[in-house]
Amino acid sequence: MKLRRLSLAATAAAGALALAACAPQAPSSDGEGSGAPAEAGDDTLTIATTTDVVNYNPLIGNSRSDYWVTNLMYPHLLSIADDGSKEASLATDWGYVDETTGFYEIRDDFTWSDGEPLTADDVAWTLNAVKQDAPAGTFYGQMGHVESAEAVSPTRVEVTLTEPDTSVIEEIGFWGNIVPQHVFEPAGSVAEFANDGEDGWVSAGPYVLTDVQAGQSYTLERTEEPYPLVEGGTPVPARVVYRVYPDVNTEILAQQSGEVDVIANALPPAQVEQLRSTEGIEVAEVPGLGYAHMVYNMDQPDLAKTEVRQALAHAADYETIREVVLQGQAVSTGSSPLMPVLSQYHDDSLTEYEFDPELSRSLMEDAGYEADADGMFPVTFRLLYSLQDSVTSQWAQLVKDSAAEAGIAIELEGLERNTYLARTDEGDYDIYAGNFAIMDDPVTNFTLSYLPGGAINYTHVDDPELNDLVAQAAVTADPDEKVALMQEAAALVHEQVYDNIMYTQNLYMAYSSDWDGFVVKPSELLSIVSAQSIASAHRVSGE
Amino acid sequence: MSLTLFVLRRLGRGVLTIWFAVTVTFLLLRLLPGDPALAVASTNMTEEARAALLVQYGLDQPLPVQYVLYLGELLQGNLGTSFTQSVPVLDVLLHRLPWTLLLTFTALALTVVVGVPLGALAASAKGRTWDRVVQVVGVTGQSLFVPSVGIVLLFLFGLALGWFPIGGAYDQDVYGFEWYGSVLSHLVLPALSLTLVQLGPYVLTMRAALVDALGDDYVTLARANGLSPRRILWKHALRNALLPTTTLIGLQLGFLVGGAVLTETVFAYPGIGRGIYEAVTQLDFPVLQGAFLLLAVTVVAANMLTDIAYGFLDPRVKTS
Repeated sequence: MKLRRLSLAATAAAGALALAACAPQAPSSDGEGSGAPAEAGDDTLTIATTTDVVNYNPLIGNSRSDYWVTNLMYPHLLSIADDGSKEASLATDWGYVDETTGFYEIRDDFTWSDGEPLTADDVAWTLNAVKQDAPAGTFYGQMGHVESAEAVSPTRVEVTLTEPDTSVIEEIGFWGNIVPQHVFEPAGSVAEFANDGEDGWVSAGPYVLTDVQAGQSYTLERTEEPYPLVEGGTPVPARVVYRVYPDVNTEILAQQSGEVDVIANALPPAQVEQLRSTEGIEVAEVPGLGYAHMVYNMDQPDLAKTEVRQALAHAADYETIREVVLQGQAVSTGSSPLMPVLSQYHDDSLTEYEFDPELSRSLMEDAGYEADADGMFPVTFRLLYSLQDSVTSQWAQLVKDSAAEAGIAIELEGLERNTYLARTDEGDYDIYAGNFAIMDDPVTNFTLSYLPGGAINYTHVDDPELNDLVAQAAVTADPDEKVALMQEAAALVHEQVYDNIMYTQNLYMAYSSDWDGFVVKPSELLSIVSAQSIASAHRVSGE
Repeated sequence: MSLTLFVLRRLGRGVLTIWFAVTVTFLLLRLLPGDPALAVASTNMTEEARAALLVQYGLDQPLPVQYVLYLGELLQGNLGTSFTQSVPVLDVLLHRLPWTLLLTFTALALTVVVGVPLGALAASAKGRTWDRVVQVVGVTGQSLFVPSVGIVLLFLFGLALGWFPIGGAYDQDVYGFEWYGSVLSHLVLPALSLTLVQLGPYVLTMRAALVDALGDDYVTLARANGLSPRRILWKHALRNALLPTTTLIGLQLGFLVGGAVLTETVFAYPGIGRGIYEAVTQLDFPVLQGAFLLLAVTVVAANMLTDIAYGFLDPRVKTS
């Protein structure tokens, strides 16, 4: 009996040891970040996001979480100011040598976390690799007019263009991450390299990814190398943890309970006021750089008529949409694609389409339509939108109701996102409703949105006058002349209703009042979680 | 029929079911609107770049060729490479599958452990207050919606009382035995919410089966022989009443996995359900095919075990 007890106890002890061995073990103390200067903080900043990181290769990355996490490791040449203009980051100077040659002068004090210096060779190699391998993502999309890049000195890169383009140097500088040539080149095509950290990650940002718990968390430790873009060269938080909460309600509960310090994604409009009045939570306002819009498909014969598009534009109550659906958290752009936030370009003389059902009726009659006994015109337009976009789903109903007041029937087609994308791609809609997160460069935006062959020319417009204005602006180096051309183009878009820009949404990010020092950047992609912002954030109690 | 033959036949049927699930999944995914290149397209992606992506994904091949290639790889144990993550599908899934299995099997065990006695209690107190209370609980449970239950539990026990964490499967910086405690504390609320919504069918099925069994002749005979009501209920009637409940376990497992998708989303639990949701939004065919294959294998295996258990519980099954 005693022997049996002993063997039972031994089995239990062995089981316990086995269980303990299966559990994660505490890391050794000589891990990343241990060499940080003593004045650096020891705090962990925990940030909530709603999506997992899909790809650790920033040249492919396609989700916001990809962008947020990889931005902490792979620097951009340029950053962005509140008005959409570009600011220095890794690059200190940039511009054009001649019409078809651009350049970047980069800092000489960036170092990869494995000790290799970040030089112009990394920049040139990144640009050439993206051009050659064509990875999916925004970066490659900016490379249309790029032929090649060359490091002409350790701190200068020159970019040869296939044709004059006065936007491309800033656009590449803002959108593209620079990756370490010595890590990415041996891996083959950058379009297929997962960069999943099999041998660890190499970073030139303030932090380096050290632990991934798929579906749960992504942990980044402060790098040992100085980060030149933060005061003193040492990021304040020792560690940054991104935690995934797919449901935004759970995410907010986690913020309220103190499990997370920051919510990276923009708050739903309905939650902003509630969180503002919650003790221990601060709400930062971030300027939006995108817009919500409705687009009228000109391949549809009725919508090819300018008067019909104008009638539709005057049949929506934009003020009510902004006040009711957006709860006052959006601003009018004057129905112009040159939003007020782009202060260099915005044109005050363009005013918002007035909600005037009678004017709409009159325009429909001018277009040759006659209302029936119920006051309805003999047309029905299908309005396509994504059901995953809760804000658009709400205002689509208001648009339908207000159009009915003008005698125009609208049939709502809210679809699952991939079906919505497929239908958009096929041009199978009358009215398209959606939004863009960042429209930072007007020339690029107009080229994609209003020129034939543009990837997001959902109007299917081909107006020679507009094409000419945008083409001229694309090669005009003089800033004032460029602005004048773009304002003229915007006036044409406004007059002809080639696009109906409804608002720019301000964005609100929640963070714990225990933290301060964030640097606010426009758009949800940067907001208060840019590399510079996170590296500058500090605990209030630690001051 | 011998037990070996019985098991072999069940195995053969299981393999056929898995092949059918694999084929249907393969075809259904390709019937979805849009294509994977479009799902990851940026606003400035050109037609040429999209076409190149489809070639990279192998979607430029005719459907039968894609199917044969896929089956060939599958037979060699290769589930393919994720379109969006560029890593082997098996790696993606194996990180997540254990959490889903832990959650679903904990919920299943809890449901059975609570549901069977509750059903037995109701049956033994047929027509009395306990019976009515249990029936109300059962019917109400069937009407609950996982995300609603989840948010209420999180608000109450996570935020207001602070007893349990809000999300995830374990805490950072916790190691050794403490890690298991952390896993357990993170498991409580999601498992509880899944249990609450699944409990109804078990309670009601158990109650109905036991009420039937308690009316059978052998129970009358047992009573006449002077056996105690407790012994009749737990020793004799319950074994017969367990058969429909055992069937229910197999049938409900699929629903349980379905419920786990929502539960994992609300509780930020890193299981395969959430992986499926993310792969659907990105039309990541290889991950979806792999996930459905793993789930099909899990459900088929559980059903086979149920069948085999059924054979033990009721010897007539083996000979039928």
